[in-house]
Amino acid sequence: MQRKQRLSRNTAYFIPYMLWILLFVIAPVLLLIYQSFFNIDGQFTFANYQTYFSSNTYLMMTLNSVWYAFLITLATLLISYPTAYVLNETKYPQLWLLLIIMPTWINLLLKAYAFIGIFSQSGIANQFLSFIGIGPQQLLFTNFSFIFVAAYIQIPFMVLPIYNSISELNPSYVNASRDLGATNWQTFSRVIFPLTLPGVKAGIQAVFIPSLSLFMLTRLIGGNKVITLGTAIEEHFLTTMNWGMGSTIGVVLIIAMVIIMMLTSGGKRRTRKGMTK
Amino acid sequence: MAVNTQPIVRLNHVCKSYGDHQILKDINLELEAGKFYTLLGPSGCGKTTILRTIAGFTAVTSGEVEFDGKVINGLPANQRQVNTVFQDYALFPHMNVAENVAFGLKLHKVSKDEIDQRVQDALAMVQLADFGDREISEISGGQQQRVAIARALVMRPKVLLLDEPLSALDAKLRKDMQYELRDLQQRLGITFLFVTHDQEEALAMSDEIFVMNDGAILQGGSPVDIYDEPINHFVANFIGESNIIPGKMLKDFEVEFVGKAFECADGGMRPNEAVEVVLRPEDLDIVAANQGKLVVTVDSQLFRGNYFEIVAYDSDHNEWLVHSTNPADEGEPIGLTFDPQDIHVMRLNESEAAFDARLEQYEDD
Amino acid sequence: MSLRNFKWRNLYLWLVFIVLYAPIIFLIVYSFSKGDTMNNFHGFTWSHYQDLFADSRLIAIFLDTLLVALLSSILATVIGTLGALGINNTTKAITKNTLLSLNNILMVSPDVIIGASFLIFFTALKIPLGFGSVLLSHIAFSIPIVVLMVLPKIQEMSSSLLDAAADLGANNWQLLSQVIVPYIMPGIFSGFFMALTYSLDDFAVTFFVTGNGFTTLSVEIYSRARQGINLEINALSGLMFLMALILVVGYYFINQYSRKHRRTATRGRRK
Repeated sequence: MQRKQRLSRNTAYFIPYMLWILLFVIAPVLLLIYQSFFNIDGQFTFANYQTYFSSNTYLMMTLNSVWYAFLITLATLLISYPTAYVLNETKYPQLWLLLIIMPTWINLLLKAYAFIGIFSQSGIANQFLSFIGIGPQQLLFTNFSFIFVAAYIQIPFMVLPIYNSISELNPSYVNASRDLGATNWQTFSRVIFPLTLPGVKAGIQAVFIPSLSLFMLTRLIGGNKVITLGTAIEEHFLTTMNWGMGSTIGVVLIIAMVIIMMLTSGGKRRTRKGMTK
Repeated sequence: MAVNTQPIVRLNHVCKSYGDHQILKDINLELEAGKFYTLLGPSGCGKTTILRTIAGFTAVTSGEVEFDGKVINGLPANQRQVNTVFQDYALFPHMNVAENVAFGLKLHKVSKDEIDQRVQDALAMVQLADFGDREISEISGGQQQRVAIARALVMRPKVLLLDEPLSALDAKLRKDMQYELRDLQQRLGITFLFVTHDQEEALAMSDEIFVMNDGAILQGGSPVDIYDEPINHFVANFIGESNIIPGKMLKDFEVEFVGKAFECADGGMRPNEAVEVVLRPEDLDIVAANQGKLVVTVDSQLFRGNYFEIVAYDSDHNEWLVHSTNPADEGEPIGLTFDPQDIHVMRLNESEAAFDARLEQYEDD
Repeated sequence: MSLRNFKWRNLYLWLVFIVLYAPIIFLIVYSFSKGDTMNNFHGFTWSHYQDLFADSRLIAIFLDTLLVALLSSILATVIGTLGALGINNTTKAITKNTLLSLNNILMVSPDVIIGASFLIFFTALKIPLGFGSVLLSHIAFSIPIVVLMVLPKIQEMSSSLLDAAADLGANNWQLLSQVIVPYIMPGIFSGFFMALTYSLDDFAVTFFVTGNGFTTLSVEIYSRARQGINLEINALSGLMFLMALILVVGYYFINQYSRKHRRTATRGRRK
């Protein structure tokens, strides 16, 4: 008690961090909200929000973005959960984990660039399709390629939290479940999966939000067929210079983010409380 | 051992509360130099808080902490001449054994040669002379315990505070450490204040024990005094095993329980005052039913290795615990005998001061 | 578990592993290919690497990127570590939770939001876009990860450890420099490392706040990739892969070394 009082008396060291919170966390968000009430000519207006919520284009774009983020998250989850599960049962899980995470250290842009080559008209993917007799297809600039590359990029971010929650799982729960007569599938669905749900939720959080806002992939891989919220923001800020509208979409994206966080963290807290000794 | 009439540590009316929760209620105690003291009580009774107020980790809400005759309430922990052995040892994991022991000396700018010498001596004192280069993670719990003791003793404190240091050790090691700590304290002649919830530990090592409950010191005294003459129900129950029977003080040296009058060694109470009578299980002898001062019926018994623990009931349905070297027959009546001085009579709600004064008057036989 | 079952599991893992690495290997293989598409390997050549090293603009951008990464991660590590200490010292649960929530905002915010809001912020404060704004942005988005790496180490430290240090005579400064910082060093180090990779990896935020005069590798690759395949980028990716590898291996060895070194140093001293 006394130690805490003594240390907190000297708070000068805390100033840079507090300044950071003030200038780079709070101020930018407030400025973004503020900016969303101005039109392209710098006049105060609610028109951005009116336009957004009354225009089919914007609403369809939002729905589309959410839909694609959902597909990307689903694809990532379906690949990552078994990966994390198998990972946990290998002899050297830490080494495998490192190998899975390593690709995230390669610049995102380079990975996207690689797929431009792989999916191109006469690229290796089409050479393979020709080889097995399907014949070359338009791969680059399709929705499929967009989802494929996005999922590819996100897999490590999904594997990591799921692996953590699986490896933390006390093996005696599994033994207890088997002991009480559960089959392997019952053990998985009634014991293992519910107990690793916090990891799954953390993974969804880590994948879904960025998937809503990926903009360089939509350009490089998706060929602008899919317009995500992120693409729209980038366009308004850097191309049409309509910062007001861009900020409005930004506010929508922030709200979507908050909703997802609430959906995924509420449950997490409950289970975490249940799991601590 | 230095003869010094002035106490080395004194707490005057020390209170501590967190919000509405009172942790310490008017604590008064004096520690003389060179003695082994124990604060004994159940967990949450405030014993560790007393230790922390003396060490300087916890500020008192009111009252005075005196060290060597000076009030040290405001003195931070790093300037107090007391050192602590922590329950979890609190060894620095980023330093090896010798660096841990040397840590305090380095902070005090002791010369390098002297540090090396004193660290060696301190490690030798706890039988770890060759362990200086070991990492903390490489040594056992018992060895970590010794390092923690050496790290505190190397500072040559006037008072060493020990916060349940043996609680993490297994039973055998704990017994060994009891002897070793007692021996260490007597060799060094410094004051030890030891905190524990283990009454056996307290009885085995201490010169003096303070029994605590619920933020207050209930009784202080030598292990023998506290064992033989507990002040109240709580102390009698907490220290050793007891039969505590409701009774009535007929007059000085005569007490009635289970409907019979018995000669006893206590006095100084009102005639016919309601009291509690303590009889230790090992003071009860089993005789034939018709020869006993009391007749009880055996309910069950357990073999404890060096004795049988017998549970029996008297005609008033009081439970009696008897330790006997011979087994009894379950369901059969047995007689119990005991000497008048085996009976200890406790008044209800008597303060420690009144208890001490009464004892002085009536127990000089 | 039957042997057959076990093999299937490993096969799946290998498959995921191959899919994850194939594009990267593909890129690097073609950086050695004659010709200028990633379609057929036309024979080995160093020429793309020669082009790369002759490209003084790209070299300058590479150095700029490295400078921003180093500066921003050092500063973010310092500020973040102090921040984590401060958060740990708050006594009220409400304050602590508020600070943590604020800390995590930039962690969960999409890059586009960070980029766009920083752009508004810099414009509002009339901070010119370029090296300064990019550096500030990188410091800003690296601080929370440092806090998240350091804070658990601080919290893992038992309070009796600090009591023990005070008990042995340490004042506040000695407490910090001789007990707390050495103890949380692994956390600080991971924080620095994460900040470094965050900075090297960032594209979106930099893309928003970089203006015209200054650019980083990510932004440069983006603008070149939009124009199509250019095997000089493959050569660049080969170099960056090498750099990432050096970082990872370096991180591992520095970790090992610092542990070993400390041990042998103390051994030597005592002999």
